[in-house]
Amino acid sequence: MVQYNLKKITIVPPKEDFINIILSRTQRQTPTVVHKGYAISRLRQFYMRKVRFTQQNFHEKLSTIIDEFPRLDGIHPFYGDLLHVLYNKDHYKLALGQVNTARNLIGKIAKDYVRLLKYGDSLYRCKCLKVAALGRMCTVIKRIGPSLAYLEQVRKHMSRLPSIDPNTRTVLVCGYPNVGKSSFVNKVSRAEVDVQPYAFTTKSLLVGHTDYKYLRYQVIDTPGILDRPFEDRNIIEMCSITALAHLRAAVLFVLDISGACGYSIAQQAALFHSIKSLFMNKPLIIVCNKIDLQPLEGLSEEDKKLVMEMKAEAMKAAAAQGGAPNDEGVLVTMSTLTDEGVMAVKNAACERLLDQRVEVKMKSKKINECLNRFHVAMPKPRDNKERPPCIPQAVLEARAKEASAEKAKRKLEKDLENENGGAGVYSANLRKHYLLANEEWKEDIMPEIVDGHNIADFVDPDILQRLEELEREEGLRLEVEEQDFEYDDEDLSPQEREALAAIRHKKRLLIQEHRMKKSTAESRPIVPRKFDKDRKFTTERMGRQLSAIGLDPTAAINRARSRSVSMRGRKRERSLVGRDSEGEGEAMDVDGEQANKKLRLRSRSRSRSKSRPPGEVSPGEGFKDSAQKLKAIKIGKKSVKKRNKAARKGEADRVIVDLKPKHLFSGKRSIGKTSRR
Amino acid sequence: MATRLQFENSCEVGVFSKLTNAYCLVAIGGSESFYSTFEAELADVIPVVKTSIGGTRIIGRLCAGNKKGLLLPHTTTDQELHHLRNCLPDEVVVQRIDEKLSALGNCIACNDHVALTHPDLDRETEELISDVLGVEVFRQTIAGNILVGSYCMISNRGGLVHPHTSIEDLDELSTLLQVPLVAGTVNRGSEVVAAGMAVNDWTAFCGSDTTATELSVVESVFKLREGQPTAIVDEMRKSLIDSYV
Repeated sequence: MVQYNLKKITIVPPKEDFINIILSRTQRQTPTVVHKGYAISRLRQFYMRKVRFTQQNFHEKLSTIIDEFPRLDGIHPFYGDLLHVLYNKDHYKLALGQVNTARNLIGKIAKDYVRLLKYGDSLYRCKCLKVAALGRMCTVIKRIGPSLAYLEQVRKHMSRLPSIDPNTRTVLVCGYPNVGKSSFVNKVSRAEVDVQPYAFTTKSLLVGHTDYKYLRYQVIDTPGILDRPFEDRNIIEMCSITALAHLRAAVLFVLDISGACGYSIAQQAALFHSIKSLFMNKPLIIVCNKIDLQPLEGLSEEDKKLVMEMKAEAMKAAAAQGGAPNDEGVLVTMSTLTDEGVMAVKNAACERLLDQRVEVKMKSKKINECLNRFHVAMPKPRDNKERPPCIPQAVLEARAKEASAEKAKRKLEKDLENENGGAGVYSANLRKHYLLANEEWKEDIMPEIVDGHNIADFVDPDILQRLEELEREEGLRLEVEEQDFEYDDEDLSPQEREALAAIRHKKRLLIQEHRMKKSTAESRPIVPRKFDKDRKFTTERMGRQLSAIGLDPTAAINRARSRSVSMRGRKRERSLVGRDSEGEGEAMDVDGEQANKKLRLRSRSRSRSKSRPPGEVSPGEGFKDSAQKLKAIKIGKKSVKKRNKAARKGEADRVIVDLKPKHLFSGKRSIGKTSRR
Repeated sequence: MATRLQFENSCEVGVFSKLTNAYCLVAIGGSESFYSTFEAELADVIPVVKTSIGGTRIIGRLCAGNKKGLLLPHTTTDQELHHLRNCLPDEVVVQRIDEKLSALGNCIACNDHVALTHPDLDRETEELISDVLGVEVFRQTIAGNILVGSYCMISNRGGLVHPHTSIEDLDELSTLLQVPLVAGTVNRGSEVVAAGMAVNDWTAFCGSDTTATELSVVESVFKLREGQPTAIVDEMRKSLIDSYV
């Protein structure tokens, strides 16, 4: 079902305002300057735009009206019938239909004139066409003027209708005029319904709300109904009939047993019987009002009989819908003047309505989803442990005191706040409720950091002891480690000890130097001579240093020489290891036994997948064969070798040709010219 | 006694407060009205402490505690820890714990005897919970939600859990916790029950959106006033059916 908000319908302007709104909007929101000398296409486009824009605005405005007014077939039948009663369905539909037609007509007019404008050959003709188009559109709106006026009236009335939810718990009060319906609603709800001593004080449906058993009920006060044929009833009575017919509510039929309303009990009983078909499937309660004037027991015989007849009828209705036919909730007496029995009436009505609703809901499917929420899981004992609640004695005392007498009111922080300038000005003292050994300590300022130490780290009283303990533990562990890994100095002679110290010193220096080199020279292993200006990296120097620490430098010198540039072309001597394992190392299989220690260290759980050989030619690369490609790779490598060694700029490096291009840094800067001028 | 209140136009009062049987923590707000509601109800009996945790106001979701102790997340600053230690009585152990899941209030639901925890909590944290809070610890989920602290609220007298908890789960949880349990909502149908309320053994605070039906369920299951959990299935049954279905 479509949801409509009857309170929030946009205002429907009268026809003149409607036209003014649209035309002024066209004037304001489309271009206004045009010259004879413009190209004809531009002129046509200028006027077409005006026509189209006007049409769009009309369309938009009319569509809101059509969409926001409820369609009577789409809403809850209660509202559908109520609106029919109040505004006449035919009239309402006709008005909306006219609006819809006007919308279509305007669309068609715009389409025609835009087509004509395509053939306009001068500014004058185009303008004439535009004027004609707008004029015709306005005429259409003028024609539906009465409908617009009617819709505005309807809108105003609808926005004042009470917001009745047709699906919620509802108690409906009905009866003859002047029997005390409104007084009852005033008593049980917070609504303030006008009560006057003449008939038809209440002219429309009015709503109040009341609570019963944690639930909210809407109490609807209806205008009085007279006992006459359906066709003769006026709009005011028809509102009541609509509500009775369509709301699934508990119905209170109020009966004035004193006859002070001007209608005898016989007349009221006749009304009851004529509208009893409306009470089907609803909890019905017959309420005898004004018992302060005329108690139920004091009624004459025939009147009593009439009342009992009605009661029997109501019981029958209750029995028909499956309710237990107990008679206490069917006929109730009250006096709205003295408040006697008013609450009993309300409770009886609410209780019976609730019973009925629950019965219906118990049969629905949705109840199964909610069954867990009506279940209280009680614990089964799993051990013998006692788990008592913890309620301080003070709470129990306070409760007892509260029950006996009013307790002294405590001065709250809120009161203090209000006294001292209100929220935002008053700043509460967080230290006020500190529980300290000495009251005077509360406001003491504690430094956060002292001597570079965070005070909070020392908050535990035994922290120093614990730290000492930890340090002792740590010291013990370190000692053990040192014994394991360091040489014992004791079994060394003094010279040896000196040598050891020198070695360690040297080592430290080397590491330091290495680290420095690593950070500055990007770990480049070989430094060309011309960049090694101070001749630091020479074989002689290496030999000197090696022999200074008592090693034979020959092997190292030979190795360095064998790799020098001047030795290129000569065959490199095989290493000792290679020569030793020449015999079996010749036919080494990659997956077989490995002679290389370094490689053997790594686990070979997975064999390496075969990568593409560097010289393989893939189609599209432009090489004839792999030999050519290899050659090209070699040439390419050679061309960059020198540059790379000297760490020079190459063509692959990012380059900014001109850091400050003239065209970007000269001239005035107007808006949007920061990046391009 | 259940009270309805708001924290600066938010009904999630359980987020901005932590209530136990020995103390009550309240977030620092723009005005004192939230604090004063707690103060009026509790200040004669237990300390009501204004604090932030890790500089935030969502203290109810960040810390977990009962009458024996208070667990704070690692985001708590030294100053806040110091402030809390000064404000709370010496019997309450205040402990900051290194747990990756720092919203402890969302991960731990506890009363003075039992705690339910998030299944992914560290083993060390679990030990700390049982040491500091003196409770038995069970790793549990509630209606398929691992954030047990958000979806269940327990005191020593009763408990309210996520509305989709099945009857079997309710019975099992109730046996673990040894308190009566009911599936329900607060704040006009909010499923995050612990965020919408703060409860201890003798009083409750609910968000101001809580309906009369919800409030009466809370009062019955936590045995506030004269309410008894059985009332939910007896007197209130009809009202509940009419409002839920």
